[in-house]
Amino acid sequence: MKYSIRSHQDIGEVRANLKAMLTSANPEETLEMLDKIGLEPFVTEEGGLLVRIWTIAAEDFVPREQAAIIRTKRATPEQSDDLDWLSKNLAVIREQYAGKWIAVYEGAVIDHAPALPELLDRISKFDRPLITFIPAEPITWTFTYAQ
Amino acid sequence: MPNKNFEQVVRFYELQSVPAGPSIWLPLVDVTLITQAGSRINLPLLFDTGASVTTLRAEFYSILGLQSWDQGQKVQTSTAGGVKDVYQYVTTLEVFGKTITCPIQLNDQLPSNPLFMGLLGRDTVFNEFGFGFWENTHELYVTENP
Repeated sequence: MKYSIRSHQDIGEVRANLKAMLTSANPEETLEMLDKIGLEPFVTEEGGLLVRIWTIAAEDFVPREQAAIIRTKRATPEQSDDLDWLSKNLAVIREQYAGKWIAVYEGAVIDHAPALPELLDRISKFDRPLITFIPAEPITWTFTYAQ
Repeated sequence: MPNKNFEQVVRFYELQSVPAGPSIWLPLVDVTLITQAGSRINLPLLFDTGASVTTLRAEFYSILGLQSWDQGQKVQTSTAGGVKDVYQYVTTLEVFGKTITCPIQLNDQLPSNPLFMGLLGRDTVFNEFGFGFWENTHELYVTENP
C-alpha cells in the first residue's frame, strides 16, 4: 500500500498512529477508528482512502471489489455535500441561474443550460454531478404536489 | 414495542426561504440515475411516504431514452390538485447504497423547486428499507435490513 499524508498543522503523534493504522489494521477497522476520532473517512471507487480535515490518501487501501462493498455501507460525503452546498447558497444561485438547469459538483456550479439534454451532453465526464433546475418564478416552500 | 435498528442517518437539509427568516427543513435524498448515455447523475428527491410511486419532473424523459415524456403507461394519480394523468416507466436507481429497479412516473405538474427534482415514493423502493422519521431532530433513519 502506498500512502501519503499532508497537513497544514503539526499532527505529530496522530500522524504516526495513522501510518501504523493504514499498514497494519483491517481496512474496516481502520475506517471505524477514523470515524471514532472524527476524521470522516471516505473510500473512493478506485479503492483509495480519503480523510477529511487533513488531506490523507492511501492508494490501494482495499481492492476495487471490496471498495464496492464498503461504499454500499458508508455514506459518500461528497454527494451530500453538493446538496448541502446548494441549499446554503440558494439565494445567490437563484440570482445567477434563474430559469436554467445547473450541474453542481464538489461545491461549485460546473455548467448550466436552458435545456436538460444540452446540459447532460456537456457534463458527461463528471461522475454523479447533482442536477437541478432553478426556477425563475417565486418558490412556494409549503407544497402539495400538483398545481 | 419492538426495537428497531438503523445503519444510516440522513440529515434533513436546512434553508431559509427569506433572509433571517425561519429555517425550513426538508427530508431530501440523493438518488443516482444512470442516463441513456451511461453516465450517472445525482438527483435530489423529496422523501415522501405519501407518494405511491417515485416521481420525476417530466423533463427527465430524455435520460430514460424516451422521445417524449408521455409515451409510457398512462396512469391516473390523485393529488391535492385533483386527479392527474402521469406516465409510468421502469428504471434503475441507486438509493441509500442499493441498486433498485423500480417503477417511476413522469409528471409535468410537479411544483418547481430547486432542491428536489421529484419524489421518492413507496412502490418497490420502500420494500428494500426500513425508515424512522424524526421531525424534531431533522433526521431520517434508514436500515437496509428491515
